[in-house]
Amino acid sequence: MEQIIVNGLYLGAQYALIALGLTLIFSLMNVLNFAHGQMYVLGGFVTYTVVAQFGLPFIVGLIASAVVLAVVGAAVEKYLFAPVIRKSKREESTMLLAAGIAFFLDAVILLVFGEKQRGVPKIVNGVLNWDFRIIMPYDRILIGVLAIAMIAGFILFMQYTKAGRAMRALAQDRVAAELMGVDVARYSMLGFALGAMLAGLVGGLLVTITGINLGMGGPTSIKAFMMIMIGGAGVISGAIAGGFILGMMESIGLTVLAAYGDITYLMIFASLMVFLAFRPQGLMGKPWG
Amino acid sequence: MNTQKLVGVGVFLIAVFGIVPWLISVTGRWDFYYTLTSVALLSIASAGVWLTFYIGRINIGQGAYALAGGYVSAILTTQAGFSFWATLPLAGLFCAGLSILIGLPILRLRGVYFAMVTLVLTEVGRLAALALPVTNGAKGITSIPLPGELSIFGLTLIPDFATLENPKLAFYLVAAFLMVICYAALYRIVNSRLGHLCRSLQQNEELSASIGVNTAYLRVLAYSISSFFGGIAGAMFVAISQSIYPSSFQVTDSVNFMLNCFLGGLGYVFGPMLGTLMLYFGWDLLFTAGRFQLLIYSSLLIILMLFLPNGVLSLFERKGGRK
Amino acid sequence: MKRRTLLKSTALAAVTGLSFLGMAHAENPVLKIGFVGVTSGPAAAWGISNQRSMETRAAWLNELGGYEIGGTTYDIEIVAFDDQKDPKRAIAGMEKMAQEGIHYVVGPNVDDGAAAVRPVAEQNGIMYFPYAFPKELYTAPASNAVLGMVANYQSGPAIYKYLMENNGVKKIAFVAANESDPLSQRDGGVEAAKALGMEVVSDSVTYQVDTTDFTPVLLPVIQTQPDLLVLSGVSPANAPQLIRSARELGYAGLISTETAQDAGVLEEGAGELANGFISVGGASTAELASDTMREFVDRYTKMFGEYNDESNTKVYALEYILETIKANPAAMTDVEAFKATMDTFEAPNPYMVGDAKLTYVGSTSFGQKRQVAVPLVVNVFKDGAFETLFVAQVD
Repeated sequence: MEQIIVNGLYLGAQYALIALGLTLIFSLMNVLNFAHGQMYVLGGFVTYTVVAQFGLPFIVGLIASAVVLAVVGAAVEKYLFAPVIRKSKREESTMLLAAGIAFFLDAVILLVFGEKQRGVPKIVNGVLNWDFRIIMPYDRILIGVLAIAMIAGFILFMQYTKAGRAMRALAQDRVAAELMGVDVARYSMLGFALGAMLAGLVGGLLVTITGINLGMGGPTSIKAFMMIMIGGAGVISGAIAGGFILGMMESIGLTVLAAYGDITYLMIFASLMVFLAFRPQGLMGKPWG
Repeated sequence: MNTQKLVGVGVFLIAVFGIVPWLISVTGRWDFYYTLTSVALLSIASAGVWLTFYIGRINIGQGAYALAGGYVSAILTTQAGFSFWATLPLAGLFCAGLSILIGLPILRLRGVYFAMVTLVLTEVGRLAALALPVTNGAKGITSIPLPGELSIFGLTLIPDFATLENPKLAFYLVAAFLMVICYAALYRIVNSRLGHLCRSLQQNEELSASIGVNTAYLRVLAYSISSFFGGIAGAMFVAISQSIYPSSFQVTDSVNFMLNCFLGGLGYVFGPMLGTLMLYFGWDLLFTAGRFQLLIYSSLLIILMLFLPNGVLSLFERKGGRK
Repeated sequence: MKRRTLLKSTALAAVTGLSFLGMAHAENPVLKIGFVGVTSGPAAAWGISNQRSMETRAAWLNELGGYEIGGTTYDIEIVAFDDQKDPKRAIAGMEKMAQEGIHYVVGPNVDDGAAAVRPVAEQNGIMYFPYAFPKELYTAPASNAVLGMVANYQSGPAIYKYLMENNGVKKIAFVAANESDPLSQRDGGVEAAKALGMEVVSDSVTYQVDTTDFTPVLLPVIQTQPDLLVLSGVSPANAPQLIRSARELGYAGLISTETAQDAGVLEEGAGELANGFISVGGASTAELASDTMREFVDRYTKMFGEYNDESNTKVYALEYILETIKANPAAMTDVEAFKATMDTFEAPNPYMVGDAKLTYVGSTSFGQKRQVAVPLVVNVFKDGAFETLFVAQVD
């Protein structure tokens, strides 16, 4: 039982961090970023290159991932999303653009980093074994704690800095924020960069544990979509809640339903659809997102 | 319908049923038959997605219905001994029925919520196909016979495909025929009272409900027509590949159906057809680019989006100066 | 509009066709061999190692002046098509091969693709060499597919039997990804283990391929305390993570799989935790590899920067195609001649030391010879490299 909760918490922390970036981008620009998973993969490969190829410390790799992805995110917003949003009649059109970017990143990752699974050596050795009730390797604990620290840092940033406040204002009401003198273009770009950076950071964190390969992008995006649906799209607390709930459901489902075979995800998906039928805006979302 | 439109339709029909086969036999590019057959079938499924766009819903779940339709046809032909031609409408009807059950709750969702829940639906389809006993699970259904003869009162309408010298041409003609019917139906729907009501839904659901439009009924109706299209496209594909697996239609397909609509243009009935042609054919033509295929393909997609965010067909609108 | 696009595309196709003709200006006539498989997206590793093996070998043969068949020397050209792991695309790829006049194709890499291309291959007279295991592809009335590797229902029993006799393994557990290929392989493995009289303690646990934490997946499996944990049809991406999670949960028994793995990936992903991991490979280990194999690895590494151990198995299909056509030049354009030759074909295996032979096998599993005889080399991972555990033959 303890093991299930610990597994769920660990999964939840990493999921929540992925969902945060996606929900931030969504709340600011109403863009469903299909390329979020690919950004996560790119972050993982950058850390891998820095740590395993150049032999630099892990923290340098993490910073490199954050910087690269922030730059990529900012560029994508400024040169691609912003012009398309300006010109298109229906804002859903950005979905095609996002999907195009996802394909593009897939292609670039394949050409630059190759098709193989990559991983960096464990950063901490050893396994915590509490009387066989909780078994948890130390590196997982470290990554989990780091993820939670980053979530906390992100919340503090959004609450107490000028940029954070501006972005929250933008998310609440774009027009009003503009009238109040918020530089919409600048903060949209900043928000997108921040969202992409979060994706890159998760990739960098997880490359030490699960490794990275070019196929992880698409499925990661879908999982992130599920989390923000559970919690409510465009709401930061919702993304965090969604991440932890999905992590817990996976952990419990895989243990309880193990005997029945292949149905854990089927159950998760089915219950999600039922849940949304009763509460279309998720746990904490604004109605009609 | 005015003369100009009639001429347009005539030219289109001649192109599809006359010029294309003629060009292929002249150039000897027999492989284009399959490519164009795929385009025709995928554009039928995309037409369904377009119809859900028309009521203001982003549908990324068409793959689930294509898969369901494929399985219905495969199971009925291999286990119940049905003729393929009978399973084709049945597959569509099954999907329409299924979509009513699924649509009743989820059509209450809007915007990205609906989009995401339908995306999950495709994955549910795959997992269900793996888990259900009737689908033969992971092993899929293989060695499905080719479509047999279709005759009414002894008159052969469609000959047995197994006896044909060139089943590729036959599949192309059937697929193109289906496509023409589906788009004619779509055109008819859009330009009927139902279409006007759908447009009102797209613009403002509360407002249309307040003036007495039965929005719930309308949404489910449009969604079930959409799923019907997905089902027959899936069934037809199964007849060509003579096999079906849980992975025959996946999330990628669902996303592609949606992209086809965007690319062609959401405001144009024939948008999805053009979008499918460009996306599918584009990939095929870039086959010579080798390992840069995906890079070029995605770059073109992004560039296209940058310059024509309202779909390729908006190009003509601007020229016509109607805006 | 549609017509115009079509015209344009036909023109484009004509131009590319011409440019292809222009490229092939060498004195030698060209023999084209096709590849249809997945070289982008999640499963890219499978197809890429395949395609690169073929391209390496082709470039090598061409550098030596070409390949002689029936008195004529041919340059070998590999025509590759990326099917994106989509069976619908795979059909298009096969059509493209038919259009190029190709009669021998390597691929597809997965079950659904291999099943989907069957009608096209049979209509157009194409022999294809899939890396997929469904038996109906290779048993009559199907006759155009040749299994390009050792199937899990052949290697699995051999491995289990060896471990039963040498390590006293009694209890066995299976874990598989929730996808067609791995699930089919798991079912085959369970059957084989039961036939050998082993106790199957867990065979229902599955995982999504995108799982980032395998601890909850493996927890119920490890609790059943198996002696051998089989990772059915595990992809090279998931293998190191599964091994790591199992070891970290305190599992001390054996772990094995029936698919080919890459030593570098295991080393990076699981490090010393992967020591003792049993997998199936080609003739790559030091004691088996011939000079030709070593040169192949060198050339591959030079051409593409990094070798992939999966290519140890995938190097064979092209060799079989060429050698069989050489044995019967009529097979160049006539697959019936190829099929007739298959029954009696025999040639020395250039990649293995000793007097190993290239022959077609599969009579036991398929009732006809529709499988290439790749040596069944069972490897065990040790400190970053594979060591040979034992070698067996498939008939």
